[in-house]
Amino acid sequence: MRSARLSPYLFVAPFFVVFAAFGVYPLIYALQLSFMRWRGAGAAHWVGADNYLYLLTSPEFWSSLGNSAIMWLLIVPIQVVAGLGGAVLLANARLRLRGLYRVAFIAPFVTPLVAMAQVWIVVFDEDYGLVNYLFNLVGLPDVGWLTTTLWSKPTLALLFLWKTTGFAIIILLAGLQAVPGAVYEAAALDGASRWRQFWSITVPLVRRSMAFLVVVQTLAVFQMFAEPFVTTEGGPYGSTTTAGLYLYEHIAASDLGTGAANSFLLVLLVFGLSLGAVRLLRPKDEVS
Amino acid sequence: MNRTRPGVAQYVLLTVLALAFLYPIWWAISSSFKPAAEIISSPLSIGALTLDNYRAMFADVPIGTGFANTALVLAVKGAMTMFFCPLAGYAFAKYTFPGKNALFGVVMLTLMLPTLVLIIPLLLEMSALGWVNTYQALILPGSIDAFSIFWMRQTIAAIPDELIDAGRVDGAGEFGIFAKVVLPVIRPGLAALAVLTTMNVYNDFVWPVVAVNDTSHQTLQVVLATLAQNITGNRIGADFATVWGELLAAGSIAMLPLLVIFVLLQRHFINGILAGSVKG
Repeated sequence: MRSARLSPYLFVAPFFVVFAAFGVYPLIYALQLSFMRWRGAGAAHWVGADNYLYLLTSPEFWSSLGNSAIMWLLIVPIQVVAGLGGAVLLANARLRLRGLYRVAFIAPFVTPLVAMAQVWIVVFDEDYGLVNYLFNLVGLPDVGWLTTTLWSKPTLALLFLWKTTGFAIIILLAGLQAVPGAVYEAAALDGASRWRQFWSITVPLVRRSMAFLVVVQTLAVFQMFAEPFVTTEGGPYGSTTTAGLYLYEHIAASDLGTGAANSFLLVLLVFGLSLGAVRLLRPKDEVS
Repeated sequence: MNRTRPGVAQYVLLTVLALAFLYPIWWAISSSFKPAAEIISSPLSIGALTLDNYRAMFADVPIGTGFANTALVLAVKGAMTMFFCPLAGYAFAKYTFPGKNALFGVVMLTLMLPTLVLIIPLLLEMSALGWVNTYQALILPGSIDAFSIFWMRQTIAAIPDELIDAGRVDGAGEFGIFAKVVLPVIRPGLAALAVLTTMNVYNDFVWPVVAVNDTSHQTLQVVLATLAQNITGNRIGADFATVWGELLAAGSIAMLPLLVIFVLLQRHFINGILAGSVKG
């Protein structure tokens, strides 16, 4: 049958058309542009590796990576621990109201990031915000949550954590629920303490979900953009200029050749980090 | 899964955590109905309720345009995802054809491409095409995404081959089998795909803020961000309380549609979120 042989190609063709037009083509074009000086208008000229060299010797570039690395430290370890804690609390077949708790934890994940970033502006305002109002009630002084270099990163990290820890809980909970209850019962019979059961049974069995979570969140943290864009515009003193926001600044400055080069440096970094995370968290006895 | 009876401490801890997660949403929505001055002077109490913040916000912010643009992008992009991704997933799950593995390998490879990396290349392409500030720029890039194809392939692979062969015996064409046999069977998967796509398109921000800069094409999220930037930009001098009232009103109204869908269609939402972790 002729149509039966042709149809699978027709069925997958639309994806490849869209991918060629809005994936492959722009990437090749941008790769070429990353070796050129071009300011969005006029003639582009070949500058060799200058854009890459400029970035690799630019303090702003390294500072944007440093900011993202600090954000990663403030977010990912806390989220893995909190996510696992939340999942363990929910993973009990006899827990009532589980559905309600689950809704509460995921609700932030469903809210638009931009809207919540606005709420963060209001809640963490130095002069009139809710958090400093509460601080003053108990006699603590005002804190410049979004206006000091000390607090700007933790305040944005908190927004990220608040918004996505429910996602972490759900992912890890699914991993936990795949563990048969009989395994715990057997361990309990053998006299293993709750803590011992947690380390010897729970953690190894959710390793796969944990690896997935770490990779996804590493990608997300290094691409973080809307949080600083809406709340701090990268300030104060560049302390919240993340790798993602720094990339955008090339667009704002119409320096697209450098921006393209920055894109490729970032993709290499993100690939490297995800591969590292996968390696590190892969169960040691895994074959596949 | 653990089967010991949960203690009181566990319920207390879970309830405190749940309230902490919900509080910012509750605070934003409830404050948006307070007289603007009270948002600052008494952020914890709720007294008289008013719609003044919403009236001011609707007068100052083109939020209707934002909603309309988001709805348009969602309708077209959603329709493309819901049609082309199961179709491609079906081909990868149920056909053998030369080059299949290589083609599927390409799909998997694009999964690893960070979105942010494509932003500048795409922007360059759009300006070369004269597509900056157009709907096609908002809709077409990423309209048939690799993740949804991968997910639909997994879903369709679970359908027994006999069902598809029976359709073939009944004389249905190749596309007829997809439309009449495959699609009805994977309805729960499609529902989860629809919900997840809605969330992603509705909340999408990076590409829309780059691709569009005139107000008439801005999506809801871009309209919101513009409002927030005007506020942080004009901090001194502006009537602070009024502006905050507008900000919270806009944010609350933007949260509402997804929160409602989420509460009504929780199961599909959670299935959608979990579908992603399968590939881990």
